[in-house]
Amino acid sequence: MKTLVILPAFLPVEDIKKTVNQIMPGIEIRTDMDFEKDDAEVVVITTFTQFGKNEIDKFPNLKFLQVSSTGYNNVDVKYLKSRNIILSNIPRANKDAVAEHVLAMVLAFLKNLIFFDKEIRSGNWPILTDSTELNGKIFGIIGMGAIGIKLVQRLIPFGPGIIYYDVKRLPAEDEELYGLIYMELDDVIRSSDILSIHLPLTEGTLNLFDDKHFSMMKDNAIFINTSRGEIMDENALVKAIKTKNIFAGIDVYSKEPPDFSSELFKLDNVIFSPHIAGVTIESQQRFLQETIGNLIKYTQGLEPLYQIKGEHQ
Amino acid sequence: MKGYEILYNALKENKINFVSGNPGTTEIPMLRSIDNYYLTLHDSIALGMADGYSQYNSEASMVNLHTMPGIGNSMAFLFTAKMNRSPVIVTAGQQDTRHLVYDPLLSGDTLSMVSGYVKYKYEIRNPEDIPVALKRAREIALTPPMGPVFLSFPMDVMDYSGEYYKNQYSDPNYDTVDENAIKNICERINSAKNPAIVFGYEIDLYNAFTEAEEFAKKLGVKVYSEPLASRSTYSTNNDNYMGDLLPASTLMNLNFIENDLIIFIGGDIVFYPYLPSKPFIGKDVIFIGTDLSHRTGESYYINPKIFLEKAKNLINKKGNFHKSRDLTFPNKIAREKLTVGVDYVLYNAKKIFNDYTVVDEAISATESVRAIFGYSHKKYFTAKSGQLGWGMAASLGIAVKNDKTLVIIGDGSFMYTVQSLWTAKRYNLPVKFLVLNNGGYNILRSFADSYYPEMGNRDYLTLNLDIESISKGFHIDTMVASNDLSELKWLKDGNEPKVLIVNTDKKIEKMFL
Repeated sequence: MKTLVILPAFLPVEDIKKTVNQIMPGIEIRTDMDFEKDDAEVVVITTFTQFGKNEIDKFPNLKFLQVSSTGYNNVDVKYLKSRNIILSNIPRANKDAVAEHVLAMVLAFLKNLIFFDKEIRSGNWPILTDSTELNGKIFGIIGMGAIGIKLVQRLIPFGPGIIYYDVKRLPAEDEELYGLIYMELDDVIRSSDILSIHLPLTEGTLNLFDDKHFSMMKDNAIFINTSRGEIMDENALVKAIKTKNIFAGIDVYSKEPPDFSSELFKLDNVIFSPHIAGVTIESQQRFLQETIGNLIKYTQGLEPLYQIKGEHQ
Repeated sequence: MKGYEILYNALKENKINFVSGNPGTTEIPMLRSIDNYYLTLHDSIALGMADGYSQYNSEASMVNLHTMPGIGNSMAFLFTAKMNRSPVIVTAGQQDTRHLVYDPLLSGDTLSMVSGYVKYKYEIRNPEDIPVALKRAREIALTPPMGPVFLSFPMDVMDYSGEYYKNQYSDPNYDTVDENAIKNICERINSAKNPAIVFGYEIDLYNAFTEAEEFAKKLGVKVYSEPLASRSTYSTNNDNYMGDLLPASTLMNLNFIENDLIIFIGGDIVFYPYLPSKPFIGKDVIFIGTDLSHRTGESYYINPKIFLEKAKNLINKKGNFHKSRDLTFPNKIAREKLTVGVDYVLYNAKKIFNDYTVVDEAISATESVRAIFGYSHKKYFTAKSGQLGWGMAASLGIAVKNDKTLVIIGDGSFMYTVQSLWTAKRYNLPVKFLVLNNGGYNILRSFADSYYPEMGNRDYLTLNLDIESISKGFHIDTMVASNDLSELKWLKDGNEPKVLIVNTDKKIEKMFL
């Protein structure tokens, strides 16, 4: 059974090859898809490799596609399913990294770090600040899945009030354990000083954050999106930043890389990152471990974990 | 009829059903007909127990102290009964009058001793004085503002004979009202731009919670509690309720910056520590109630319940205030779980003891006890005087007719009247003691940190008490809680007294400016 791993060229491929050879010898690793056909039964890709119909058709024997990341936007899931190919992602490995990324963005805003950095680099020494504290703020979380919980666990010692919305409310004992207050979506948006989105992209969440929802936010509130770009209407976000002085931490975009001529990138109240919230040295190690675990399961005739059953993420 | 028999009949005639005490030889003559008597192992506990009984049952009680030494032992509790407005009839024996001139052992000027702390005092000279003196004592004690009275019973007089003259039994009239004053007050409220309301302990005394809520709702403004209230003041869950005022003039003034009229109903101000601001400068301030100090503002002697009932129909809406929900509290509880913080403990205790009457003597945690357990009718009691040791004693009196009594007490306070456990066990009084053990006098350490920081770590401000062993020494079921506080359920189970010790976070909270 041939297994092919396709990695982005910026990773230390030679080091990875050495490591993989120690664990699962015989696995082919490459950084391109410059071939007509390949007889691999198992293919491993990351979120950086486009895997549409043309790419899928290069693998006539493909039975199992492992995406070694949480997101799998790069895969034509519908076509994959039509060929009865198993698709798995790694949904857990980056949760800690994303939660920390959210905190980093929030604290950067609250503590005015970007401004201070710019000032000092410009030779200025600011003596006044409008920095505020996370303690006592109301932190709203939309979507209380694994990342939401990781974020809550990190927020607890900072002392904000934590409110949340999810289609599925947590059990009362979990709410008490984490000190959470459940509210309807609109109430969370209205009540929050800081709002962080942790929703999957579905038909129901596509453009969920539109003019209507942004208009519900408190003036000067912080909006963080590390989930999926398509969940927010970027034009509505631009309007909210301009009219309500919203501060936005944006890691994800409806088109990636985004159109840098967009007005969004001209605004001061925004911190950007390149869809990298979940990427840390540690999370990559976890992705690798989980990926290897799934490959071992498949090659032993066991069901791989984290199979994607639907077409959306 | 002998003096002691006249005393027995007078007690029955005046419907005084509760007697506690710690007698000595000088009291034996007066007690010969009294057999329904709660014994405590210190005079002071008997007075605190009677105080608790009287406040909880809204009736006079009798406490029996051992003449000069016993009164001396109980002076802090007498002061507290005065501050708590508790109608306790304090009695004590006195040496045989036939040799008083020789200053015999235990004799002394007991009337002077209690002077300043009782509303009425009298030493019986003749057995026929007893019904009159007892009737006067009871009715004066029960007349608002209520408070303790004192009767002295010389040993020999109890053996003298006299006629027993039955008296007419009566209660004071509480329905004091002044219709014109109510109209005037309401006109002032209606012409004010932004009034605020402060409710006090008389809301509980007269059970005027419904009337208070309706009045506040009609007015639509912010409601506060008087600072350091001795008992419940307002329904804590009500939307208008902003919490307790802090006992410091400057902090109080900050609450009322935007108000032009402040209406105190059934309550008053109290200060500690000293801050330089005078209270309510430039504000119109009205006090309404039956316990008026006339320290500031204008005062009207009117039963608050009747005032609220009538005034709600005469006042106009002034606002639409609704307090916002505290969204930070659940996180605080989750955070404090790691260190067994006081709020975490109280939050979990509230879930188990929701319908209990709380006796609060957790001095450094009282703000949390009040906020988390909340106020409602006869559900909260504490010492208005600030003394320690009252809580355990008072809880015994409350538990005589209330099988849902929870004492929340600090480790330092617990040791003041720890012999209360003996009385609880002896009479199987169903008091549950929740000891918040923070290992020291944290109120003192907090004060020191604010004003004299070099003193905060003095060794005499820290305690390392083995409360578990002490409690078990009185044969009381006792446990030390684990961090998940599952033992709270154990504490509640059963009708016998129990002690649960929770070793809480030892962090010193900032409680003073």
